[in-house]
Amino acid sequence: MSLNLQRIGLIAARDYKAAITSRAFLFGLLLMPVLLVMFAVLVPRILNSRSPQIVGDVAVIDTTGKVVPELKAALLPEEIARRRSVESDQGPLKPGATAAAAGQPIARLTLVEAPANADVDTYKRWLVQPPAAPTRHLAVVVIQPDAVARRPGAAAFGSYALYTSPRLDELTEATLRNTMRAALIATRLRAQNLDPEAMASVQQVFQPDAVVVGAAGERSASRTVARFLPFACGLLLFVGVMTGGQLLMTSTVEEKSSRVIEVLLAAVSPLELMYGKLLGTLGLGLTMTAVYVSISVYALAQFSLSGLLDPMLIVYLVAFFVVTYLVFGSLMLTIGAAVNQNAEAQALLPPVFILLVGGYSLSGVIGQAPNSAFSVAMSFIPPVNTFAMIARLSSIAPPPSWEVWTTLLISLVTAMLVVWFAAKVFKVALLMHGRPPTFGTLLRWARMA
Amino acid sequence: MTAALEIAGIRKVFGETVAIESLDLDIPQGATYGLIGPSGAGKTTAIRMIMSILFPDRGTISVFGQGSALKAKDRIGYLPEERGSYRKMTVGAFLTYMGGLKGRTRAQAYGRADRLLGRLGLGGVQAKKCEELSKGMLQRVQFVASIINEPDLLILDEPFGGLDPMSVRLLKEVIAEEHHRGATIIFSTHVMAHAEELCEQIVMIHKGRKVLDEPITGLRRRYDTGRVLLEPLDPDANLLALQAMSCVATLRLNDHGCELRLRAGVDPADAIRAVAAAVAPARIEFARIRLEDVFIGLVSESGAAAESHEALRTHLQGLSNTGVTA
Repeated sequence: MSLNLQRIGLIAARDYKAAITSRAFLFGLLLMPVLLVMFAVLVPRILNSRSPQIVGDVAVIDTTGKVVPELKAALLPEEIARRRSVESDQGPLKPGATAAAAGQPIARLTLVEAPANADVDTYKRWLVQPPAAPTRHLAVVVIQPDAVARRPGAAAFGSYALYTSPRLDELTEATLRNTMRAALIATRLRAQNLDPEAMASVQQVFQPDAVVVGAAGERSASRTVARFLPFACGLLLFVGVMTGGQLLMTSTVEEKSSRVIEVLLAAVSPLELMYGKLLGTLGLGLTMTAVYVSISVYALAQFSLSGLLDPMLIVYLVAFFVVTYLVFGSLMLTIGAAVNQNAEAQALLPPVFILLVGGYSLSGVIGQAPNSAFSVAMSFIPPVNTFAMIARLSSIAPPPSWEVWTTLLISLVTAMLVVWFAAKVFKVALLMHGRPPTFGTLLRWARMA
Repeated sequence: MTAALEIAGIRKVFGETVAIESLDLDIPQGATYGLIGPSGAGKTTAIRMIMSILFPDRGTISVFGQGSALKAKDRIGYLPEERGSYRKMTVGAFLTYMGGLKGRTRAQAYGRADRLLGRLGLGGVQAKKCEELSKGMLQRVQFVASIINEPDLLILDEPFGGLDPMSVRLLKEVIAEEHHRGATIIFSTHVMAHAEELCEQIVMIHKGRKVLDEPITGLRRRYDTGRVLLEPLDPDANLLALQAMSCVATLRLNDHGCELRLRAGVDPADAIRAVAAAVAPARIEFARIRLEDVFIGLVSESGAAAESHEALRTHLQGLSNTGVTA
């Protein structure tokens, strides 16, 4: 049977216009970038601005009599900031950088030296304060006698006991533990006539960003971006397909329940209606993807990272979006045509959701090991293969071209089969009313058509 | 001239249910046909098959010589019984969209929609959203959508259901205009008065089978009631005296006057003149056939049980009273 392309175009244009001007779609379209910006920029700032600097006293009972000088030096804010920078592998702080620039606010802890033979229980009681006390007693540290020099025959050094106030937060406790570790190591090294600064310097290796060298030239492979890109591409695919598919399903249910479907079928064939609807929401998904890709490219350009994005990746993303959409969109359209109300569709949706979420959840795993046997196998198993391949393509080690084209071919064949099945069910289901169907019923309708 | 519609031996089965069995129908171009039958008779299934929305398991359907309505959709207008619209769309956008789907340009569709809306008392609603219209207004808009393409074949499934008398009259006028323009009209209804007024030929369907296919004039002759209804000018007139007249077989009094059954072979025109001379009438008429009478008669001929006839009569009367689709 011949299809009238003009009618298909009209249906596609109407569905596209109706969806893209709906408040729900515009809200959804803007919501995701807004949430991402909030997550990436605003939330840390808000969290930082609401984290007040912790100020309080820490009592130390140093039974060795040797650790306190190192502890005083290690508790200086500049020293805490330096250690944080070294631990994050980001390289040394630039000269002139303030301590606060290194991240979270740095606690200002005042050391209260207690006699070596002080009663520990007395200091435990020191921690218990009324809420309105002017000075906050945060912790008591009791350094063990063998913390600097091992007992004869002992394999390990002694350590320290830590008693804390209930008001001590986790971050400050971690800072205190870290400071104690640095102070004890430095004291032990000095006790053995070794230079702690020299030892720290020898052990420190800052991690560089890899430069991937391929036939097409060199490109930077920022680890952060490399980790993020497969995830982001998978998310784009998922959100585009999900949004378009959902709109397709709900609009079909509405047309069926409002009885406009028979008016339409008086003017067009069921297949023209189906293809028009599929194309209309495909355009919608592509618009959405274009908006998000543009925002992403702009954001990367702002951080001088646009070189990380291969233009071919965008081309592949669009191609894989189209085939993924045809598969999942057709399934959702079938469900929309088969039921009478949106609530009934929920009973048939879970298997489709599982496949879609399953495909998306592969992105992170495959992005980490893009050429593992699992990743390669997943690239050829429909319908999750498009997610697997886009994750591999956006990783630092993209697959060879033949694998990409094979995946695309498999996806195209899958899409054609699913669209064929959907068309058979769609023709029969459109005018069916009454009890919501099961998957068995859908198969029977497909055989009937 | 090619027939507007030719149906030969179509059959449609849904699961265990035979919806249509061996249906034949030829409708010439320019005719007006009434498709009549109770609920579940198979009328809507037949119409959906004519429209190629459903397909027969057996038999053929030809529309304007084409093997399928899909090839002639631009020449067909269809107002389904269960009709809807896009609630958020404006009336103008909805009608130009439907016109576009029927092969009309935007300007053509908009112009005709504007003219028809004005004709149906809906001037100025083009910019309103469909959801803003009352049910009756929306029904008229849906009717406009069905004829936006100036169809050669117009299929109307219960077009007057739920409409007020004024709207019914307007719609009848526009349907008559479409007929005069040359359109073939297939009209599905259970209200005999509408069918009598608009149709030249009546097709009755019962349990998926065609039980009648006859011109309305022939139907009146064939199902002669032999009854005269009289409402006297003087409420105190002696109506019982009419029983003595030679043309009257029986007389039955009712709230308005009486019903006279004529003797066999009496000419109704002579009888009416004689009765009017005996008692001055405020109204006197020859009783016309009723849908349920014809239908029950046909079912009786097919040998159905008496209880079934009574149940069917009750059902048909219920439909006529409530306006439910038959």
